[in-house]
Amino acid sequence: MHPLEQLRDDALRDIESARDEQALEATRVKYLGRSGSVSSWGEQMKTLGKEERPIVGKLLNETRNAVAAAIEQRAGKLRSQKETEALEKIDISLPGTPSERGSLHPLTQMLDRSIDIFRRMGFALADGPDIDDEWHCFDALNTPPEHPARNEQDTFYLPDGRLLRTHTSTVQIRAMQAAPPPMRVIAPGSCYRRDEVDATHSAQFHQIEGLYVDEKVSVADLKGTLEFFMREIFGPDTLVQFRPHFFPFTEPSLEVYVKSKALKGGEQWIEVAGCGMVHPAVFEAVNKARGDKAYDPEKWTGFAFGLGMDRLAMILFDIPDVRLFAQNDLRFLRQFA
Amino acid sequence: MKFSVNWLREFVDLPKNAEEIAELLTRAGVETENIEARGAKIEKVIVAQITASSQHPNANRLTVCEVDDGSGTKRQIVCGATNYKVGDKVPLALPSAVLPNGLQIRKSKLRGVESEGMLCSPIELGLGEDASGLLILSSDAKIGAPIVDLFPGDTILDVEITPNRGDLLSHFGLAREIAALTGNKLRRAAKFDGAPGGRTLARGVRISAPRECPFYSAWKIDNVTVGPSPDWLRARIESVGIRSINNIVDISNFVMLELGQPTHAFDADKLKGGINVRIAREGEKFLALDGNNYSLTSENLVIADEERAIAIGGVMGGEETGVTESTRNILLESAYFLPATVRRMARNLNLPSDASYRFERGVDPQMILRASQRASELIREIADGNPAKEIAAAGELPANPADVSLDYNKCDQVLGIAIKSKTVDEILERFGLSKGEIRNQRKSETSTWEIPSYRRDLQRDVDLIEEVVRAYGVQKIAGTDRSRFTASSMADRWYDLESALRNGLLTRGFAEVRTSKLIPRHSIASGENAIKVRNPLSEDHVALRPSLLLGLLAVLDRNMRAGTEHVAIFELGRVFVPPTGKEERHFAILLWGNATGAPHWRTQTKRRLDFFDLKGAIASLPIKSLSFRRIENRNFALATEIRSEEQVIGVGGQLPALCTPALETPGSVLFAELQADLVLEEQKSAKTFREIERFPTVTRDIAMIVPEKMSHAEVLRAIEEPREPLLESVQLFDLFESQDGIAPGTFGKSLAYRLTYRDKNRTLTNEEVTVAHAKIRERLKRELSVTLRE
Repeated sequence: MHPLEQLRDDALRDIESARDEQALEATRVKYLGRSGSVSSWGEQMKTLGKEERPIVGKLLNETRNAVAAAIEQRAGKLRSQKETEALEKIDISLPGTPSERGSLHPLTQMLDRSIDIFRRMGFALADGPDIDDEWHCFDALNTPPEHPARNEQDTFYLPDGRLLRTHTSTVQIRAMQAAPPPMRVIAPGSCYRRDEVDATHSAQFHQIEGLYVDEKVSVADLKGTLEFFMREIFGPDTLVQFRPHFFPFTEPSLEVYVKSKALKGGEQWIEVAGCGMVHPAVFEAVNKARGDKAYDPEKWTGFAFGLGMDRLAMILFDIPDVRLFAQNDLRFLRQFA
Repeated sequence: MKFSVNWLREFVDLPKNAEEIAELLTRAGVETENIEARGAKIEKVIVAQITASSQHPNANRLTVCEVDDGSGTKRQIVCGATNYKVGDKVPLALPSAVLPNGLQIRKSKLRGVESEGMLCSPIELGLGEDASGLLILSSDAKIGAPIVDLFPGDTILDVEITPNRGDLLSHFGLAREIAALTGNKLRRAAKFDGAPGGRTLARGVRISAPRECPFYSAWKIDNVTVGPSPDWLRARIESVGIRSINNIVDISNFVMLELGQPTHAFDADKLKGGINVRIAREGEKFLALDGNNYSLTSENLVIADEERAIAIGGVMGGEETGVTESTRNILLESAYFLPATVRRMARNLNLPSDASYRFERGVDPQMILRASQRASELIREIADGNPAKEIAAAGELPANPADVSLDYNKCDQVLGIAIKSKTVDEILERFGLSKGEIRNQRKSETSTWEIPSYRRDLQRDVDLIEEVVRAYGVQKIAGTDRSRFTASSMADRWYDLESALRNGLLTRGFAEVRTSKLIPRHSIASGENAIKVRNPLSEDHVALRPSLLLGLLAVLDRNMRAGTEHVAIFELGRVFVPPTGKEERHFAILLWGNATGAPHWRTQTKRRLDFFDLKGAIASLPIKSLSFRRIENRNFALATEIRSEEQVIGVGGQLPALCTPALETPGSVLFAELQADLVLEEQKSAKTFREIERFPTVTRDIAMIVPEKMSHAEVLRAIEEPREPLLESVQLFDLFESQDGIAPGTFGKSLAYRLTYRDKNRTLTNEEVTVAHAKIRERLKRELSVTLRE
């Protein structure tokens, strides 16, 4: 064995037995330092014969590389050992640094979900004012003065004779006034009723109005649309039932009921919406206001619906009292974060 | 309206149980809201006669009755009612009886006096809603007989009748609907068909307001005996919630409940001269049957004799001419009043009645005289009356509704399914329509239909289509998918922008709130300008919010009371700007409390939220060229305008202590309100790519002592203007202020800035940075005379 090989083995053994970074550094200096035993072989080289020199030179290089690599490897190992020891002391059961998460109001969430679904079905959004006039809220919707369904008792009026809309159906009229058919819109918004406030009634609430006017729109289309919506909201197993009803501005008029095991009281039919085929008198009122025959009831048919967002949110989130929405107790809001 | 199933059964065969009836009706759009079983389970309750009554020795409000229960021995019963007299027959619940409300009757002592049973009121027996006293039975009730014999079991349906279906506001009407839906035969229909037998119409009443009252009839019935109604009549009307008054009034109510036509009986001897149906005189006084005095206007239609108004047409009769126990002769009114007139009157006088409810929905003209016929028959039978040979009448019955055409193709098209024209015809015929001519036009077939007098709501083809779908069953129409491409609208873009704005604050830990757009009286009391509603219902909803401030303060108040220590909320919604009520979308932020939530091992320092937290939150919003400028604002103690590209888009700051809720409020309330429209407007332009810097930066710090009054903005301007081309950004990283000055002999504050240098095309050398940095240092010393610290 060449003494260099002996030296290499000694060095590797020393490196391997270095317990910490200081010991390793001492070992490095001992072998590879300026006057270390490996380095000093460089001096000895000069004394060697011409033939021996390249062989020993090669061996010296290999030795130097092997020792350096071993030191590097040992250093890595020692570092990770030290890290492991430090980390072992950490109590990972300590609570994490808090990072506050905001919350969207449950009604906003309900509106967002609903709007998402209708947009996937090809509905665009439409908008109208909260303060409106009697014509948009009643007359144009086939509810003339003295009509039993024209419930002025339940309507808030402003001193100038305008009113706070009692339903978002006003936007049906405004949308049709603004553009000819085909028309496929939803209008989310606030409505107001002059009603005693209790667990299920509030003076101001939220609706999504829907309107689809096209050639040959039918009750079947209306059913398909709302059945799809209800199943998207309440789950694929939701049963949807349509029952004839009366609204002045639709004919036929229907009420929508759902039943789902996923909901509390899952054996009950719950009323969730009103809808129907747009009454020809509504088209006629729009035409009169437009001054044209764009919504010719002989050519176009349409369906309309109104969904109570507060009610849907109460059903979906199992919220017992509508007043919770306007109270904005953070303990309530954070439940829906 | 409440319906008795027994009563309905007189006219039509019904499904066996009430749930099936309810389901049948509900499926056809006549919603049954409640089903109530009555009377069926009253066992051990018998007819008893009160033979003596005396004051309870130990209780003022109780009496001790002696009753005859037919057993031969008298029973002693303690009783709380006062509406009886000795000799009355009343229901007696014997010991061990269980009443429908679950009450078990026992022999017991009440205030020291033995009671061997209980005398019952209608509500205790489930026979009506009257709880005011004992149920007084008719004098011919047999003592000892079970009460069930007098009141056989019944089921009461509470049915929601929609305003278009006035024809369903009677037992006959609902039975007719059920007959049409089931195909069962309608019984006794013929009895109510045709004009009153053997009677002729004669003059004797005058109609001065023919538009408001097209037809009026008055039938004199002499020698009536007014008294209590027989049990069956009383049971009938009480079962559906009408109180028994006397036989004449009860008969009038009975006929209304049976046939849907309200009638009214006047005491004929109290009338002065003939009837005139006229418009009321301005200020005319009228004492109605409800005991109230009404001052009438020319909006009101009255029935009058020669001297005064004796009834408000279709709404309510007068007190002075009402039927009483001493009435001998009556005048029975049956008429048609214009629905709109009745509705307006009932509403303006705030006097809704069972009669007005029916008149305003339109009664069946063909039922008017049939109803008087039915009433007169009952009066003859029950009250021994003698109807006159002639009925005094005036005016014309409203004409029958116009025929309606129906195109069978249109029916299919509206419903989205094909229904055979034969099926359509069968359905319509069952509803009482009769088919006239059929026209064939090219591909379609149209039939014309005669509409029955009681279905004025059937006016056009879609109304007939609704009848078809009601009877055919909506459930048989399968839903279809009618997708369509729709371009997004302006409203769509606004919605998306609003969502993005909300989500931005969400990630910063804010909670969204939605407060009521209607605000309470107390919040506008302080002189706040707001649009008020003309007819508020409660003090809580009086005006439309002019800003989001009041709503958010109320939320803060509520949550502080609930003990929260950190409030960071925002709202995005409409406000109504006085005086026009212009609708603007506003966006508001409110902050209060600790900067962090509950104490935590990682956040030792407890800091209160302050102005700069608000400023930081606003700065996180996507607002172009955001700047703030201090202003005076009476709503704020510390106020700043919020500007975007020099346009004012909102105001924010710290609210004065007074304005904050009446609570101990440690820490300041920070609030800002922005016009969302203006904020969102900015977002409409798309973002574009900017190259990512490839060369490294060099940073240098400057620390300085500046006079107390000198603002950060001044220092920043001196650093940035004129701009050193290599200077990329400036950051204030330390600020130290002290009352005593920051070092002996100095007064001011210490600021430290980090300046970042970069050239986007190459790596900077230390030398060029030093040169640029030195220039800035010089400028600070020269222009601001600040002391730079090494």
